[in-house]
Parts: sequence; C-alpha cells; structure tokens
Amino acid sequence: MRTLGSWLAEHSIAIVSPLVLLAAWEWSSGRGVLREAFFPRPSTVAVHLAALAADGTLWSHLTTTLIRIGCAFALAAVLGVVLGLAMGLWRGLREGLDPVLAVIYPIPSILFLPLVGFLVPPGEIALIVTTAVTSFFLIAFTTTHGVRQIDRVVLEAALHYGARGWRLFTAVLLPGSLPSIFTGLRLGLGFALIVVVAVEIVSSSRGLGALLWLSWQILKVEDMYATFFVIALVGAVLYYGLASLQRRLLPWVQDAADR
Amino acid sequence: MLDDLPGRLYTARTALTRMSSRLPKVVVNDVSVSFESHGRSVLALDRISLQAHAGEFLCIVGPSGSGKSTLLRVLAGLLRQSAGEVRIEADHPGSPLTAMVFQEHALLPWRTVRDNVTFGLENRGVGRSEREARAREMLAMVGLTRFAAHYPHQLSGGMKQRVGIARALANDPEVLLMDEPLAALDAQTRTIMQEELLRIWATLGKTVVYVTHSLEEALLLGDRIVLLSARPGRVSRIYRVELGRPRGLEVRAAPAYGALLETIWAQLREEVVRAMADDRGSSADGSGA
Repeated sequence: MRTLGSWLAEHSIAIVSPLVLLAAWEWSSGRGVLREAFFPRPSTVAVHLAALAADGTLWSHLTTTLIRIGCAFALAAVLGVVLGLAMGLWRGLREGLDPVLAVIYPIPSILFLPLVGFLVPPGEIALIVTTAVTSFFLIAFTTTHGVRQIDRVVLEAALHYGARGWRLFTAVLLPGSLPSIFTGLRLGLGFALIVVVAVEIVSSSRGLGALLWLSWQILKVEDMYATFFVIALVGAVLYYGLASLQRRLLPWVQDAADR
Repeated sequence: MLDDLPGRLYTARTALTRMSSRLPKVVVNDVSVSFESHGRSVLALDRISLQAHAGEFLCIVGPSGSGKSTLLRVLAGLLRQSAGEVRIEADHPGSPLTAMVFQEHALLPWRTVRDNVTFGLENRGVGRSEREARAREMLAMVGLTRFAAHYPHQLSGGMKQRVGIARALANDPEVLLMDEPLAALDAQTRTIMQEELLRIWATLGKTVVYVTHSLEEALLLGDRIVLLSARPGRVSRIYRVELGRPRGLEVRAAPAYGALLETIWAQLREEVVRAMADDRGSSADGSGA
C-alpha cells in the first residue's frame, strides 16, 4: 500500500501543472491581460459552478449525460468486442469487413445522427446509437488487432499442451487479446464523451453539452466555463478509472497505462 | 550420504535402463518434410531415420537450417511429415506422448507460474487437487516454489525456462522434447541450467530428445549425438558419448571429451562449410560472388 504522501510526490508534476495554468489564468484575467467578459477568472467560474451544483441544475444534466455515455459505451463495447473477436478469428470476415470499416470509421460521428434517425426512433435512442458508432469501430479495430498480435509461439505452445475449441478461446485467445481490448475500451470511452457532448449540442435540451451550449447562447460565460470544467473532469475520471480497472484486472500486463 | 543420492538414483536408473535399453521409445522411420516456399517445394528433412531408447538422452546437432527444430516439431505433433512414420511407444496410458520445452519459453503471460505448470493437466481434465499437488512437486524440483504466484514477466530468463521445464514435466510425458531450451540464456545461467537438467533427468529417467547448436552442451548432456547435415537435413552420423554417468562439468577435462569434440566438430565443420557454400550459391545467382 502506498501512502498518500508518496503518491503525491510521485505525481507532483501532474498535480502542479494544471494548478500553475489556473494561477496564470487567474492573474491575467484579473489584470486585464485577458478580457474578463470572455475569460472570467477561475475563481469566478468556481462560484458559478457551486451555484449550478447547489440548485441541482448541474446534477440533472450530469446524470443525463452519464446515463447516455453508459448506454452508448455498453452498446459499443459489447458489439465491438464481439465483432472484433470474430474478425480476429475468421479471416474471411476480417477481409470482407476491413475495407467497409476503413471507409466508415473516419466519418465524423455527429454526421450519423440524421442517418441513425431514419433507422431507430429519433430522440434518446438515436442519440445513444450515434454516440456509440465511433466507439464501436475503435473497439472492434483494437480487438481484432488484439487477437492477431497474440504471440504465435505462445499459441503453438497452448495447442501443444492440448488447448482446443472453447478452451483455447477462453484460456488463450481471449486473455491474449485483453490488453488490446482494454486500450480500445479506453479510447472508445473517450470518444463516447466527445460525441455525446456534440450530439447534445445539436439535438438535445438536456445533458452537459446542452447546458454548455445554452450558457453560451445566453452569454452566461461563467456557466459555460463551469460546464467545460465538469466535462473535462468526467473525461479524466473515466479515463483513469478504466486504467486502474485494467491494472486490477490484468496484473500480468507490464506498465499497464502507466505511461 | 545425501550428497550421494543423485549418484545412487542414477545407479538404480541405469540398471532399469540397461534392462530396457534395447527397447526403442521413439522410432523415426524415413521421415521427410517439405515446405512450400515462393511456389517451390523445399525439402527440409530428407529420409531421417533414428531411434531413441527408453530413458536415453538423445541430442540432435547440426548447422542452422538443417531442420533440427523441424524434426522436433514433427515428434511433437505440431507438424505433419510429408513422408515416413514416427512411432512413440506409450507405456503409461493417459500420459501425453510428448511435452515440449520451447526455445523462447512460450509461457502464457496471463497465467501465474503455477497455472502455467498446470495448463496441460487442466486441458486434459485432471482434477484440481491432483493438479496442484503436481505443480507443487514440479516447482519444488526446479526450485521455484516461492514463485508459484508470480507472473512470467516478473521472472528472469533462466527462471522462465525452469517454468517451461516444469510445465512439460507436469504432464508426465512419455518423451520430453527440448528445442534449444538454453540458447537464449547467458553463459553462467546456461551452465547452471545444464547441471539442473542432468539432475532432473537422473531423478526422473525420462527419455529426452534435445536439440542444440552447441556441441559442448550435447557432449555434456547426451548419451548419443545425432549429427544432421545441412539443408536438406539428413542423418549425417550418430555418435555414442562414452563419458560415464553421472556427468558434470568436470567431464570437460577428460581426454575422451576433447577427442570426441574434435571428431564431431570436424564433421560438423564440413556440414557448416557446405551450408555456407550452398547459401552463397543460391543467393548469388549471376552476381558472381
């Protein structure tokens, strides 16, 4: 068990650098180097953030966004891992789908919103499906790669020692691709956050994206920054949360996500 | 008294081996292997015939490209021969015919040392308590009891290879196959592992087929040495190593050791030179090297 002190010492740069940035901002905004109407001081933003939290506005929007990310990510993760594993295992499927995915993947996810609206009921479901699209492709890609990069020698040894069929899958192919799958999940979760905020901006009156956009439109700049900050915090918590989950679940991976 | 235990075990084993020494454990009969490479068929092994007797430590040496590993993979069932037959006598029903120790240890990185050792048993449906007992026994034999819960990446190269050996032995195979298991280790570790191997072999009396590129290693470990020729691999000659048992590093000082080393090296050298000439011939078509 590491003590809090040694943890702080180890991560001092990561802790100090944002603080320095905030201090610089506070100073330049207070001195008029930055226009306070557009760049309010962080301390002012903090007051507004507290107010948003106190009257419940923040929590309801935050909960909405988190539920959407949760649903979209679960959808993307389950379908992405299943398709990725299938593509990793069956060459025909891989070769057939690769070009299709390569074409679809770089399309900005937000553009799928109208298309998705034709396929599923518009509204909440369309929003979640659109959010899931890019994450799904990412997760499918990295999972396929995970299966492909399993060491041939290790695979041969596993076959030699009698692993076949379902057992070969659960004891060798799946654990062997887990490090890549986790990388895909982390990237996919990050993309889910980016896309959900974008989709909320264009198509919803609820959620952090909607709150941010509304604050901007009525020139409540401080609220906009407060929402900004919350979105960033959600991103960081999700990213590091999944990284620490990976360390816990995959203890055999060296330096998992440490660097 | 205890110091003499390996020696006495050896004597008992020798007596057993004498009785069964004419019993072939592994019979390789006219085995050929060819590969498809760039649309052409390349002969890797050409009508190999050899036998390993029960309890024998058989070493296979040869220049690189002579198909040593290919032969081992055929014995392991990882590769099918194009012609000829391989027969391995099964004395214990239920045991696998072979278990291989791979050159690059080939441990499953996501399994602990203990779970790597029990992997083959799990696949064969051996019960948990028996698996664990077997793992304990094997890890004690290779001196890794304290590392049972470690993951492979936490171990040194020598320790990983010990796990590889324990994994193979845990399956109690009829024949132990070893594919240059010590080649990747540093010189000191290799020397220690060679002595360990001799001790383990003397204790268990397994039939071993051992591929190495080191003549010194073959002379230290082997009862007989099969010398393969350069591509395609053929049995060039088979040497009997009359250096007594139990054998240790001191054997290197024996005159017979030097003489045999000299003899085999002269032949091996010829094969290596021919292999190099072949490589030049095939790679320098027209460029006139």
